Amino acid sequence: MKRENLKNYDGKDGRPAYFAYKGKVYDITGSKLWRNGTHVNRHHAGEDLTDFMSMAPHAEEVLEQCKIVDTIDDEVAEDIFIDRMDRLRDWYRRFHPHPVTLHYPMGLFYFAAFMQLLYLIFRVSAFESAAFYAFIGATLTTIPAAVSGLFSWWVNYQMTLTRIFRMKIIFTLVMLVFGISGCVLRFLYPGISAGTSPLSFSYSALVFLNVPALTIVAFNGGKITWPS
Amino acid sequence: MDKQRIKELEEMIQVVLLAIPREISAREFYLQAAKKAVSDSSRLLFSDLAEQEKGHEAELRRILTELKTELKEARGH
Ligand code: HEM
Repeated sequence: MKRENLKNYDGKDGRPAYFAYKGKVYDITGSKLWRNGTHVNRHHAGEDLTDFMSMAPHAEEVLEQCKIVDTIDDEVAEDIFIDRMDRLRDWYRRFHPHPVTLHYPMGLFYFAAFMQLLYLIFRVSAFESAAFYAFIGATLTTIPAAVSGLFSWWVNYQMTLTRIFRMKIIFTLVMLVFGISGCVLRFLYPGISAGTSPLSFSYSALVFLNVPALTIVAFNGGKITWPS
Repeated sequence: MDKQRIKELEEMIQVVLLAIPREISAREFYLQAAKKAVSDSSRLLFSDLAEQEKGHEAELRRILTELKTELKEARGH
């Protein structure tokens, strides 16, 4: 039978109770242990129980006493999809692109803010240039960090939008908007840091504000790796 | 009341979600260990542990699906 038809045999309301295990369909209709299609309050008829056997207090030998009534014949399509996700997860585990790439924006945004601060204190233009170049680098390298983060979110967390991920995504967008705006401003007005106009103030503010934004993104990242 | 329930569900989803990659990594670790095992008994132990992690992962995924459905319903009301 097709996998999607299996759920019709859920053992409820007098329907037969079947479950699948390693591609075979077993009939446990009438079993005392599967009353109303439910087994130990946990497993349900009409489902594929292959992965759950290791959690059971018995081995798969108990199935030898059950009647096999059919096989699942759409195994192939399903397998390909699961395989592809498994392969992507494997690839991610091996190369972990997010922890690799996130250090560039992490280092560079902090460095940019530090250089800008030194410039505002000492008014040495080399500091201001250093801040600008670091800020460009930080903004550009935020892109691979965000892409690899989204990739991990997809393969490892099925894109489930929890508070942690919501915070990370929102503040990554904030970082990108601040970063790009700052770069454009400084590019259009090369002397912007020297002035005292609101525009000059805005440019420095963007450079400084990306530090807390970055910290929020990273802090929430740490919550994923070291959950409390 | 409903708000409280939604918050609890969201927190539980977060917990279950973060647990899944841990189970996968643990399984991977035990599978590698089984390959390196130099005695039958240790190979058996590691294969067994790997198999158990697969079970944990499957349970967690099922609970996650249930929680997501419940959350959707709680939000719908
Ligand atoms: C859309 C944006 C992002 C998403 C969806 C995301 C997702 C994730 C995920 C899933 C993890 C867990 C570790 C992993 O799976 O490899 C993580 C960890 C982390 N992320 Fe992100 N991320 C995003 C953007 C960023 C950015 C732009 C930065 C830094 C500039 C960053 C900094 C971190 C840090 C510091 C960790 C902890 C790493 C560790 O413990 O080794 N994330 N992030």
